[in-house]
Amino acid sequence: MNLYEKIIALYPELADYDFAMGDITLQNDSDGRGDYIAKWEHPTLSKPTNKELT
Amino acid sequence: MATIINADTSNGLKLTSDTSGEIQLQSAGTTIATVDSTGLTMASGKLIASTGPAFSAYNAGTQAVSAATITKVVFNSENFDTNSNFDSTTNYRFTPTVAGYYQINVGIYYQGANNGFILLYKNGSVLSRLAGTQSGLAMLSGSALVNMNGTTDYLEMYAYDGGGQTIGSGSSSLMFFDGFLARAA
Repeated sequence: MNLYEKIIALYPELADYDFAMGDITLQNDSDGRGDYIAKWEHPTLSKPTNKELT
Repeated sequence: MATIINADTSNGLKLTSDTSGEIQLQSAGTTIATVDSTGLTMASGKLIASTGPAFSAYNAGTQAVSAATITKVVFNSENFDTNSNFDSTTNYRFTPTVAGYYQINVGIYYQGANNGFILLYKNGSVLSRLAGTQSGLAMLSGSALVNMNGTTDYLEMYAYDGGGQTIGSGSSSLMFFDGFLARAA
């Protein structure tokens, strides 16, 4: 399960969210560290903790 | 007339002076350029050859892009890199060592885009969104003119796809990133 899928599992209401234009940015710098949350400025949902994403 | 500076093949430098305020630069008696109060004008068919940095990088393989995740495109091969300014081994970025305005071009093939697009990043932040598509197979391409300081500024390309996708298709013509110095600072 990738980061996006974990976030959707945690917050199903984000399934229709536009990650391209919204307040949440998932990013991968192709440096071997994988996907990460580069920006989380959602007005109501709190940024998932590392524990919630494992 | 004009003051003429001629690189003569028999006698070396030949100088003919007048008071016109114009200088003609000649090679073996052929005028290459003229300088007057308006500036430098090249003679018909003569060029000012630019030696500024130019690069052409590509990925001849494929790369996976996770759903809804902006992913740096791995340009791990080069056609040319005249000033060794493109890093095709670690960070896949262009860091020109000459300040100026750079024309940047990119093309990325999506095997089946779902709101896919290309992003140009400067110094780790989005500079511009170059091209996008809603769905289906797509060759996205875009360009930008970017001011670079010639020391610390760098450019990278990122790809996005709303549903997750494979980009590239095993050809150097389907995932490329190139650019050149268009105008010095």
